[in-house]
Parts: sequence; structure tokens; C-alpha cells
Amino acid sequence: MLLVDFLRDKLELTGTHIGCDTGHCGACTIMLNDVTVKSCLLLAAQTNNSKILTIEGVSADGKLHSLQEAFLEHQGLQCGYCTPGMILSSLFLLKRNPAPSEDEIKKAIDGNLCRCTGYLGIVKAVKAAATRMRQGGVNH
Amino acid sequence: MKLRLAAPNALIDINGITELSYIREENGTIAIGALTRHDELSRNKIIQEKCVLLAEAANVIADQQVRNRGTIGGSLAHADPTADLPTACMAVNASIITRSESGSRSVASRDFFRDFFTTALERDEIIQEVRIPIPPPRSGGAYTKLAKGHNDLALVAVAAQASLRSSDVCNAISVVLGGIGSTPTHATETEKLLLGQVIDDRLIREASLKAAEGITPNPDFRATSELKLKIARTLTERTVKTAVSRAHGGS
Repeated sequence: MLLVDFLRDKLELTGTHIGCDTGHCGACTIMLNDVTVKSCLLLAAQTNNSKILTIEGVSADGKLHSLQEAFLEHQGLQCGYCTPGMILSSLFLLKRNPAPSEDEIKKAIDGNLCRCTGYLGIVKAVKAAATRMRQGGVNH
Repeated sequence: MKLRLAAPNALIDINGITELSYIREENGTIAIGALTRHDELSRNKIIQEKCVLLAEAANVIADQQVRNRGTIGGSLAHADPTADLPTACMAVNASIITRSESGSRSVASRDFFRDFFTTALERDEIIQEVRIPIPPPRSGGAYTKLAKGHNDLALVAVAAQASLRSSDVCNAISVVLGGIGSTPTHATETEKLLLGQVIDDRLIREASLKAAEGITPNPDFRATSELKLKIARTLTERTVKTAVSRAHGGS
């Protein structure tokens, strides 16, 4: 059983999406032991005793993460299908590089396809979130 | 497996063998454990300083999620001729250390890749380590690829590594093409023209025109044979230029 199917069907954590199921689209991106991976390219059994973060764990105490707020404010989404993966990839970038350039943001979300936005809103949102997080905004 | 290239009856996950993930200098070589991730390879100081073409190749593999998970051992064992690390490893004359129940052996990368997705690995062997001789001072390397989109496999890729004497004469040169044949392929005519010469831009241009001499590139759904030849010549010129200029700069 694939990890993405285990998350969605067994744990009923349906925030992690299946876009292509061939490892191309990035909709199923999660963090495994603090790094982003595609959960359609892993078997659930391989991740025994691992630390997994899905979109459900990004917000805390009913409050959105700075990144999620920025996606809302800057139209970083339209249909929302790619958004969980986009958020996880952006989160990984900002943990490693708190002040990324536009090119660095584009490279970081290279593995996440979006068919609606044209990416401009997403890049804007990540930039805005980075600024807010550096200034000590919500960053859990 | 997702692309149905392999359909094994059973899988053994070796990701738990954390001892196989390392990069260290050892007796004039860089030793890289088979489970070293592409992301680590692209950001490691030793690789960046002493074997920069490998860092450059690792940095353009697919996307961040794949670089976080993919390993050098996995990439070499898979032996996709359009993949980045096989081409890069061949250009720096890497040896592949294999391991089986009966012991280990070392295979030169130029003997390791046999055909499309086919290597010198025996059925009971896995890759344990990749070993790269540390280039002498006044060496430089570069890796360039052209692909359809940022994260696709290469149409054509070129890895070049050059060493210069104090007199600026080139005493070692390696130019390897990826995406052209069924395995990474040395551009032997180009190498012959550059070896033993004081290399300038004109010579690089002349030598690059011979980059795929005697080779008919495999056409695929990405590009025709003729287009691949043209790309190979252009990329060879750019990549050798960068490698030689880095050799002059001492990096």
C-alpha cells in the first residue's frame, strides 16, 4: 500500500491529494523526517517509525500558519488542489532559507504543478510569508 | 516501478542502513556512500570544492522532493542514459564499489554501464560506495544539461573535467555526453583534440564540433538524432569552456 493511500484511506487525512500517481505533480507532497517527499512514491511500510507531517499538521490550535494566510491574501490558489503540496514545499524552503529570492522560490516549487494560478500568486505568497515569518509572525 | 520499468516480486528496503550515507575524503579519493541523497551531494562542501561538476549534476536532478529521497547508488544502478549522475560520475572517473555476500569489488564507471538500464551488477550485488579520485590542483569541472522544462530528464547533457599543468598545457581532459547513446559516452575526438594543448576558445570551438563524431544519437520522443547532435556540440563548447576556466581559477 502506498503511503498516500494509507494517509487518505486508513487515517482519513484527505488533505494530501493524488494528482497523477506517477510522481510528477507533487500534489501528494508531505514531510518525512523533516524533508519533503512525494507520498505516492513510497510504500506505507517503508515509513514505519518515521515522523510524518501532512497539511493537517501545518496549522495549530485552529490558527492558520503564516504561509497559509499569505496564500489566501495573495491568491496563491484558485481550485486549491495543488495547495497542500505547495504549502509543504514552501515550508521546507523557508526552514532552510528564510529569505529566498524569487528564483529560489520558483526552484523550490519546481516539483509542484499548478494548473490554475500561473504561479505568480504562489510566488508572491511565499515571499510575503517569508517576510512575515522573519518579523516573528505566526510560525509554528 | 511506477513507469512499469520493473515489476519485482519482492522488495528489500535498504534505507535503514544509515551507515551507507556518507561523504568523506579517504586516501586521495572522495568516498560517497550508496545511500547519499542527491540533496546532500549538491550541498556538500567537499563535493562543491573538489568535484563541483558532481554537485552541479545533483542539483539539477528532477525536483526538490526527488533530490531529498533519491540516492547516488540508486541512480547509478538504474542506469538511465538520460540521467545526470551516471554521466557526471563517468567524467570524474568514478569507481563503483559493489558488495555481495561473497565480498566486494571495484568497477570503473566506464565498464559499469552496459546498455539502457543495464549495468555490470550481478544479481546478488548492490552498490556500496562510489569512489572518485580527488583531482589535482589546477583542475576544473562543469555539468550542463538541456531538458524540456526544469525538472525533466536530459535531451543531452555534458560533463567536462580538465586538469592543467603549470604551463597551462592540458594534461587530463574528460568530456562525457549523456542522453546520446544507450550509456554515457566519452566524446573521444573532442578529448583527443584538447589533450596536450594549451586550450583557448578557438580550440574549444573546433574540438566541440567533433563532440559526437562517429556517434548517431538515439532519437527519442524528445528530440531527433540531428537535433541532439547540434545540442551536443553547443553544450560541449559551453561546458568545456567553464571547466577550463575553473581549472585556471584553481577550483
